[in-house]
Amino acid sequence: MAMRQTPLTCSGHTRPVVDLAFSGITPYGYFLISACKDGKPMLRQGDTGDWIGTFLGHKGAVWGATLNKDATKAATAAADFTAKVWDAVTGDEVLTLAHKHIVKSVTFTQDSNYLLTGGNDKMLRIYDLNKPEAEPQEIAGHTSAIKKALWCNNDKQILSAADDKTVRLWDRGSMEVVNSLSFDGSVSSMEYIPDGEILLITYGKTIAFYNALNLDLIKTVDAPASIHSASLHPEKEFFVAGGDDFKLYKYDYSTKEELESYKGHFGPIHCVRFSPDGELYASGSEDGTLRLWQTAVGKTYGLWKCVLPEELVSENSDTLYCTAPEVKA
Amino acid sequence: MKMPVCVLRLPRGPDLNSRGFDPNSPRYIALCPTTISAFSESGTDSCSLRDEQRTRSVLRERYLRSLIAMSQKQVWFNMHERVRVEAKFGASDIDVLNFQVSDLQTPLGIQKEALIRCPDVISYSFEL
Repeated sequence: MAMRQTPLTCSGHTRPVVDLAFSGITPYGYFLISACKDGKPMLRQGDTGDWIGTFLGHKGAVWGATLNKDATKAATAAADFTAKVWDAVTGDEVLTLAHKHIVKSVTFTQDSNYLLTGGNDKMLRIYDLNKPEAEPQEIAGHTSAIKKALWCNNDKQILSAADDKTVRLWDRGSMEVVNSLSFDGSVSSMEYIPDGEILLITYGKTIAFYNALNLDLIKTVDAPASIHSASLHPEKEFFVAGGDDFKLYKYDYSTKEELESYKGHFGPIHCVRFSPDGELYASGSEDGTLRLWQTAVGKTYGLWKCVLPEELVSENSDTLYCTAPEVKA
Repeated sequence: MKMPVCVLRLPRGPDLNSRGFDPNSPRYIALCPTTISAFSESGTDSCSLRDEQRTRSVLRERYLRSLIAMSQKQVWFNMHERVRVEAKFGASDIDVLNFQVSDLQTPLGIQKEALIRCPDVISYSFEL
């Protein structure tokens, strides 16, 4: 019997949630960090959305947040012109990296030894986290604020998207641009999938997939509304996208067919990401909440429980909650 | 009509009194020794860890006692943006994020009761 999606709402932020990232799968599960304009990024257990802690220290809106693979370190990018590195186990601030303007994007290399930052001063910076006092390597080239910067190709190359309507691929060694893409409008988001070397870019109402090594276009899909963020499932069966119309869309990656759409947020969706095991995806919105959505609706996972109709009237149903129909997607 | 998926409970929200990162969580207990030396050269052998923990405990206890000694005393705070204020110290919150003070003397007048944000404080002093 078909089930209706019950999103799990994670509250706590008081302003729009603008970025979110999952860690890899660790012996303690996987984790989720959310960046918020209230300046207080939060760490949550990835499969339940349970709050673990809040990273306190930034004095402005936090625009970007990321976790390293084993969720021992976190990094955040903020409007207070700093990027910060945190101990994600204790919540302590470990490093503050001063920049000359608002920092928008932060990301670790796979070994967590280097941090890449990008922001409104149009520069990409690479910090050696083992030598935090040393000056970062700087890569210039973009002519407008950088929105997102990512490591790719085994951390040998860098992908950056900026308001100058370009996405550029840089070689880390030479610090030179090796390839680029130009768009008619601003790129709203970018995601890199190492397994398969796929680059996902959203702009306008379009979700586009590229080969991350040579920037060849694989396919594009157009959504009914302006899209702010999209994410590809780890097995590449689906992708999800969200944007201006407050809805989340789920598509079949091979056929490009729209499979489902879900309402639930009370504001535009700014970010959406699949979990590392692909069982759920998280969305962050202007409404200040994060919501967790099941990939396979009705499956027992995390806080969701598959319940047969007979079980609902049995004694065991006391600890189960079914949302009322008015929370309709 | 489709049946909505059941949930065991809702995700737990933030604790209003603390910043979280429960030191009693399995992950914290298992990973903390290595995170102490995350950016330093100190060895992870149990002997030097024990010594470091002992030193940390001594320092923490000394700091907490200094807070007790400061209670109801006049304290001078040096803060960012060259702000210097003085006030009567009341108490600290558990994470040492805020100091509760009375009769805070500011350029705009005396604030009867106030909270000072600890991250804004560079240094503070008081007479024993």
